[in-house]
Amino acid sequence: MSASIQPKSADPELTLISVTKSFGGHDVIRGIDLTIEKGELVVFVGPSGCGKSTLLRMIAGLENVTSGEVTIAGKTVTDEEPYDRGIAMVFQSYALYPHMTVAENMGFALRLQRIPKEERRKAVEKAARILQIEPLLDRKPAQLSGGQRQRVAIGRAIVREPRVFLFDEPLSNLDAELRVQTRIEIARLHQSLGATMIYVTHDQTEAMTLADRIVVLRAGKVEQVGRPTDLYDDPDNTFVAGFIGSPRMNVLPGQVIAEDRVKLAGVEIAMSGLSEKLAPGEDIQIGIRPEHFMEGTGPRVDLTIEVVEQLGSTAFIHGSLGQGLPVVVEARSARPAVGDTVSVTFDADKTCLFRSTGERIR
Amino acid sequence: MSAQRRKAIGSKAERRFAALFLLPSLLLLLIFRIIPLFWGFTLSFSENGEWIGADNYVRAVGDTNFRDSIVNTLLLLATLPIWVMLPMLLAILIHQGVPGGKLYRAVYFLPAVLSSVIVGAIFNIVLRYDGSLNAALKVIGIDAVDWLGSSSTALGSLIAVQLWSTFGMSVLIFLSGLSTVPDDIVEAARIDGARFWQRLFLIVIPSLRPIIEFVAVVTTIGVLTSMFGLIYVLTGGGPGTSTTLPEFLIWLEQGRLNRPGYAAAISMFLFSMMAGVAYLQIRIMSRNANV
Repeated sequence: MSASIQPKSADPELTLISVTKSFGGHDVIRGIDLTIEKGELVVFVGPSGCGKSTLLRMIAGLENVTSGEVTIAGKTVTDEEPYDRGIAMVFQSYALYPHMTVAENMGFALRLQRIPKEERRKAVEKAARILQIEPLLDRKPAQLSGGQRQRVAIGRAIVREPRVFLFDEPLSNLDAELRVQTRIEIARLHQSLGATMIYVTHDQTEAMTLADRIVVLRAGKVEQVGRPTDLYDDPDNTFVAGFIGSPRMNVLPGQVIAEDRVKLAGVEIAMSGLSEKLAPGEDIQIGIRPEHFMEGTGPRVDLTIEVVEQLGSTAFIHGSLGQGLPVVVEARSARPAVGDTVSVTFDADKTCLFRSTGERIR
Repeated sequence: MSAQRRKAIGSKAERRFAALFLLPSLLLLLIFRIIPLFWGFTLSFSENGEWIGADNYVRAVGDTNFRDSIVNTLLLLATLPIWVMLPMLLAILIHQGVPGGKLYRAVYFLPAVLSSVIVGAIFNIVLRYDGSLNAALKVIGIDAVDWLGSSSTALGSLIAVQLWSTFGMSVLIFLSGLSTVPDDIVEAARIDGARFWQRLFLIVIPSLRPIIEFVAVVTTIGVLTSMFGLIYVLTGGGPGTSTTLPEFLIWLEQGRLNRPGYAAAISMFLFSMMAGVAYLQIRIMSRNANV
């Protein structure tokens, strides 16, 4: 699969057309097509080594494109230098110039464009005001905390007024609390600036909370593109189903016993709303999200409780179904006890069926 | 400085043990550095075993040989930017990945492992009037120059030879410094619109400031204290005093003219200069400790 689901627009901000990248004969990006609309916040997400950062760097112009085409605002920029692309990038390591003050860091691009000093100062102060870093303007990066450095890095990007903001795992070096705070600020910034943003992360929570659309990547290919809730509710394959959502979706082995019936842990489940006909006897995989257990009046299975993660408002039960199928079940109201075997229901309408190869059966 | 007593580190037994380890080097320092320094200082106020007060210092100020050696030292120090810039630019080229970079690195470093006597012997052959450099110049129609025999070229030749034999070490120091400049700040500058030379002069070289300062200080110390062998083999301080540096003059006064008191007075001048450089070095090192 090389293509991806994407909106068709007459005036997209950024397009990737069959973009590939090879390092020494090894393909790291394998034919990606993607269209990003003006003002969209698109998150590239995937495990380490899936090529998400490489793809972002190709858009930035920091990596050459082996084949294919990159356009920004209708202009082909595949072979353009980074500074001719109308982009700004925020790096994971902040990449601030250590010998310059915060103000000099933020105004560096304008200085290179020979913008008059006064104009430069105004632009820097405006961006500093947005990010509430005005008191830091005369400091050097070494005198700042991690969170402050990241704000300066974002400020440096804002000052340039780019067409597209690129974020390469910008929160990875921050502690948990600061990460949540900065994430909210980036979302707010996106709303107030109305800018097009591409954001790379390996953290599916960041992807879910920030994105207008998520692009899930694996081994240099797009697995699925869509709104966060679409990916969560309607994954195209077991990879996306497992990657999006925490705790991950339970993907359990099952068998087709009739065109509209499957069997899981010895229990027959009637499937409705499938457009494809099931082939009796076929081994399949059945996906059930942890929160879809213990709700509805659907099929009932026996669950042996092995470990309980109690979070107060909810609890995650790690246990096994039937003949030892490991599952995670969310128990919002119940107070489960380790060692108990309880009978739990799940909502059959919310289960996802996948072929043994991982593709979704709809 | 705070008047508060510094808090002792470790237990008493540990501190005693630490003192035991420090003792040998402290003793060596005392016997071979501190005592000779004070001995030399006292010696500088005497001649032939007699106390003569500050006469040696007064004499040094009026001594043309000494004054020439100071002028030569200043000329030498005036070339310091070349000693720093040349290895830095070569290191940057190697770091940029010019073809054969590793070979260049090895070739540049090779002279650093040769003793100054060997370097001197090589360049005696190269630079003498009927030497290979003049032979090469003749091919392109330039008249022969008495590189080591003329007072206008001897110091320059000496400096060039010393530069050739030591700059490889500075190249290595710069290369290690360059490897600490993060790629992403250079990439950020690329995105900000900096062209190659702008990235070099506005980002890379300023990031190397601690290394530049370190190389400058180490080179200064090197040229003030390690050129004796080369001067001895190549020019013997001449012609006249055109290549005489203070350390060579000290040897002349002490070893040839048997004037230990006067030699000690010149040593004290040299020591003061070196102490100034060392102080600068300590200041720079501590300032850059957090960079």
